[in-house]
Amino acid sequence: MSQLNSSATPTLIAKDGTRILDGWALLNDEDVVGADGPYVLGFERALTELPGLNGKYGVRVNPGDDIRALAPYMEKIALVEVNFPGYRDGRGYSTARILRSDLNYQGEIRAVGDVLRDQLFLMLRCGFNEFVLKDADPEGAIKAATDRFENAYQSAADARQPIWALRQKLTEA
Amino acid sequence: MYVYDQFDHALVRERNAEFSDQVARRLSGELSEDQFKPLRLMNGLYLQLHAYMLRIAIPYGVLSSVQMRKFAHIARTYDRDFGHFTTRQNLQFNWIKLADTPKILEELAEVEMHAMQTSGNCIRNTTTDQFSGAAKDELDDPRPWAELIRQWSTIHPEFTFLPRKFKIAITGATKDRAAIRVHDIGLHLTPKGFEVYVGGGMGRTPHLGHLIKSGVPGEKLLSYLEACLRVYNRYGRRDNIYKARIKILVSALGPDEYARQVEEEWNTLDQAAIDAPYYEIDRIRSFFPDPAFADKAFDQAALDRAKAADPAFARWVRNNTHAHKRDDHVSVTISTKPVGLPPGDASSAQMDVMADVADSFAYGELRVAHDQNIILPHVAKADLYALYQQLDRVNLSTANAKKISDIIACPGLDYCTLANARSIPLSQEISKRFADADLTDEIGELEIKISGCINACGHHHVGHIGILGVDKQGIEFYQILLGGRADEKAALGVITGKGLPAEAVPAAIERVVRLYLQLRTSPAERFIDVVERLGRETFAEALHEPA
Amino acid sequence: MKLLTANRLTDGLVLWYADGQWVEDAAIATHLEDAAGEALKAEWVARETEVVAPYLIPVTDDGTPVQRELVREFVRANGPTIGQTTFDTAKQFNRDEVFQ
Repeated sequence: MSQLNSSATPTLIAKDGTRILDGWALLNDEDVVGADGPYVLGFERALTELPGLNGKYGVRVNPGDDIRALAPYMEKIALVEVNFPGYRDGRGYSTARILRSDLNYQGEIRAVGDVLRDQLFLMLRCGFNEFVLKDADPEGAIKAATDRFENAYQSAADARQPIWALRQKLTEA
Repeated sequence: MYVYDQFDHALVRERNAEFSDQVARRLSGELSEDQFKPLRLMNGLYLQLHAYMLRIAIPYGVLSSVQMRKFAHIARTYDRDFGHFTTRQNLQFNWIKLADTPKILEELAEVEMHAMQTSGNCIRNTTTDQFSGAAKDELDDPRPWAELIRQWSTIHPEFTFLPRKFKIAITGATKDRAAIRVHDIGLHLTPKGFEVYVGGGMGRTPHLGHLIKSGVPGEKLLSYLEACLRVYNRYGRRDNIYKARIKILVSALGPDEYARQVEEEWNTLDQAAIDAPYYEIDRIRSFFPDPAFADKAFDQAALDRAKAADPAFARWVRNNTHAHKRDDHVSVTISTKPVGLPPGDASSAQMDVMADVADSFAYGELRVAHDQNIILPHVAKADLYALYQQLDRVNLSTANAKKISDIIACPGLDYCTLANARSIPLSQEISKRFADADLTDEIGELEIKISGCINACGHHHVGHIGILGVDKQGIEFYQILLGGRADEKAALGVITGKGLPAEAVPAAIERVVRLYLQLRTSPAERFIDVVERLGRETFAEALHEPA
Repeated sequence: MKLLTANRLTDGLVLWYADGQWVEDAAIATHLEDAAGEALKAEWVARETEVVAPYLIPVTDDGTPVQRELVREFVRANGPTIGQTTFDTAKQFNRDEVFQ
């Protein structure tokens, strides 16, 4: 019997399949913002402190948090960590899409928590570009998710054009 | 009907390859059951009481003779020679091996079918009027819109892990045969655009949907739905499975506030990127032309002679045909509910006959109705007797459409892990009680709907007579609801009287029906009309054995 | 006393624990002491590549499931009670219905 795949040590990996080093530190709410950043702030703390802070920060967003509340501080945010406490909780997908298409956020969106191979395709489409992935073969998982579907019916936050647009192109060609 | 192009084919093939890989990883132990379960559900695979059950999508209930024959083949090859048509216009097989599933999905793909999103917390098969494109009272054909929604909702990256399942229904006729008020979203297609009803549903806490917007133009439908879904995905409850449907969110916020949030979200969306433009809508619409109607000479006198010579045929014509937009055609209901047999079941032999008669008499097209019957949408009146005779040979000629023995029943505790009580045996006993076809005809239109648990897959809330099975310390008990209806005057039935043991139910229903026959002012006054005129309490006493 | 039951992963069929192995016939399921049943269940919960969702059914002294489980387990052990597969499972083992 094979090993349960998700029991592998989580790996931070980018959407192009390269492993990356995590330069960010998640601050506990009682920790002070010191000199050795960059820091990831909890959502409530970000809302309170970002108005008075300069520089670039990360923010940890949990499923119930309204990402639009951070709209005024987009230029101070370089990383949004979207937490999936359980992979069945799909609110994080809306969070990412709002960031990309409504708030025009260009920074990193990182999926953390219960992030599994079978969710990667959806996450990539919604605008996630980094993953703390629980998989024994993270590169293989990224490749599988990237290659699995050539096209998609609907537009989202990735580069795919919806199938209706591709059909139109074929007709025009 | 819609025909796949290279993109549709590729997507189904890719999805099957993905699921095949997931099945292999589950078998090898790389995936746990907990991780695999939502993945298999999203591909239609349940683990039920006896085995795995595979639910195959029949998009908006439309299928070809070729697809019906494929079902027969799957029933013979991979299952126990029959399948079950469901209230959501789908088909399920009850004894499917996990390891066979990829092969079955491959076979389905050959005939442009799949099992995607027939379960799981995602957007399910959109359902619609079984007489779409054929009915005399239709204003516009809902099928192209249902196909548009099918494509938009398939593997939607944002809405695959919703708080709970999500069901959309569309009607384009004056009469609502799609039960739009008891769906998460109900769409009424009118000449002025779509009326959008949200927050209907059955289950533990039944609600009728609220009209939140009128006049949504077709070319903006998808972005409006996307806004509806996004508000639900973000704010629908996830702490309690029984409170996770959109009806709970809409009633907690109030329909006006929900509508306001949707409007706000709609305005932030990049509508041009989401909404398929006219040419795509026209392309899809081009797949739903009228068939090349045969101009067969119709001889009314010959039909009348056949009816006079064969009273059973006359009854079948009277009960199981529906007015068609062409006077020389009708739509035909093939009842899957012969007296004493499980509603919705069809053997492979019956499926083959249905495919054959569709080819011979109905331009190769069939439909599955939400009442679990099969429809031939376009049949020339000249062919009715020949059609009837072929159906009659395989016990598919029961003349009970919309009658008291045309019972909707969920699979219940004979198959379903969620059920508390059996549904089908009760439906059989009731149909035997009313086996007399003359009595059935005298009673007229009467819808009985039976669910084996509170999840209400048998639609008991909207039965003229609804029956809900409950478990009382190991004994199956049944609560009776009166006064529900799913049509354009949708209403929820109310529990009337005390719960009854199974053996007492058929007699109780007969007493209620006999009372109705006494109370009606004319045969035109249906059971539901009398319940509404006199109140359901009028019937409460009749439910119980006279002391 | 308890019976241990589950579904087989590969085909989903109902299984019963009998003398150290899984069988498809409920009639020969082993009546387990409560503690032994719990231990076996814990062992099989972990063996996910073989069976799915094992659970224990409390049975009365005459060997039928206690009331709360009766209809469900009657159906699981014998097959559906209706239609063309009526009591398929019981028929397959040439026996009368168990758990009456």
